[in-house]
Amino acid sequence: MYVGLSDAELAPRIAESDREAEAELCRRMGPRIRLYGLRHLRSPSAADDLVQQVLLKVLEALRTARVREPDKLAPFVLGTCRMTVLDLRRSSQRQGELLARFGGDLVPDAPPQPRLDDRQLARCVRALKERERAVVVMTFYDEQTAAETAGSLGISEANVRVIRHRAMQQLRICMGATP
Amino acid sequence: MDYWLAALSAAAEEGVEHHLMTCDGCGDRLRGVIALAEELRALARSGSLQVVISDQFVKHAAETGLRVREYAPPRGESVQCTVAADDDLLVARLAVDLTAASRVDLSWCDPRGVEHERMADIPIRADAADVICQQSITWAKASPTATMIARLVAVDETGEERLLGEYTFHHTRTIPGPPGWELP
Repeated sequence: MYVGLSDAELAPRIAESDREAEAELCRRMGPRIRLYGLRHLRSPSAADDLVQQVLLKVLEALRTARVREPDKLAPFVLGTCRMTVLDLRRSSQRQGELLARFGGDLVPDAPPQPRLDDRQLARCVRALKERERAVVVMTFYDEQTAAETAGSLGISEANVRVIRHRAMQQLRICMGATP
Repeated sequence: MDYWLAALSAAAEEGVEHHLMTCDGCGDRLRGVIALAEELRALARSGSLQVVISDQFVKHAAETGLRVREYAPPRGESVQCTVAADDDLLVARLAVDLTAASRVDLSWCDPRGVEHERMADIPIRADAADVICQQSITWAKASPTATMIARLVAVDETGEERLLGEYTFHHTRTIPGPPGWELP
């Protein structure tokens, strides 16, 4: 019954210690926080840790009615993500302490990661033009920036972005996705 | 993909992140992007792609612990080569003068001169002293003993070709096991 509630409707219920509302918040926000963690921490386990830490902080804030604008819960969660990632980068020791205290209290289910046909992907990459393949390999081998790839291949940074964009579109089409 | 690659401006990234905190549909799309990026990284690191790469790429691969086997036959000459089971990357360095070339193709031929594959319009640096081509390590490990000739050719606007360099690779198979296939 809580699935259809808005964020603003969930917040006061959590302030009243409604466990079902808390569970819905975790179900709703956990995957979003995890994506943020994957993007900024580049590690599934670190992203899982971030989910736990952010949810704990958000739940604590909601329980003590410290979220001033409940209708802006998503921005509050995003702000908490940012602060937590900054904290994690400043102090890995603190991360360990938080996890030792709270780890295991919140273990949200990560959404299943889409699986790709790696053989088909290899065929698709081989079908790219030479420059496109070179840009894709250098970009993804070690997450090179466009500037680094441009310097390596002797083409402009803007050109690398265009080539990469075109290559990714072709790969998506080749893999059967909508461009 | 630009968001995942950290290629957006700070303002654009902030906009994307605000949206992702409220839109699970776009979250699903991002998960698809991440899956594609992860598979591409695995593929790029597998050494199984034939691709023109840079010197920095080769150095970085070696620094990160990959076993890189390199051959650099002088222009117009040949080299004896092989691959071992624990090699990760196979690289050919083709010394060439690229100062007057705009488009360059890399052609792979058999000893009779019959072209088997052409890598058209490869990325080049005019100031580079060589073209570095990663050959598929998977293919090389399964390849029988054979000779291959690489030809770098400049192609002008009219389609006319000019040979920049020819390099012969005498590959000896050293990994035991059935070859599975033979070169024609």
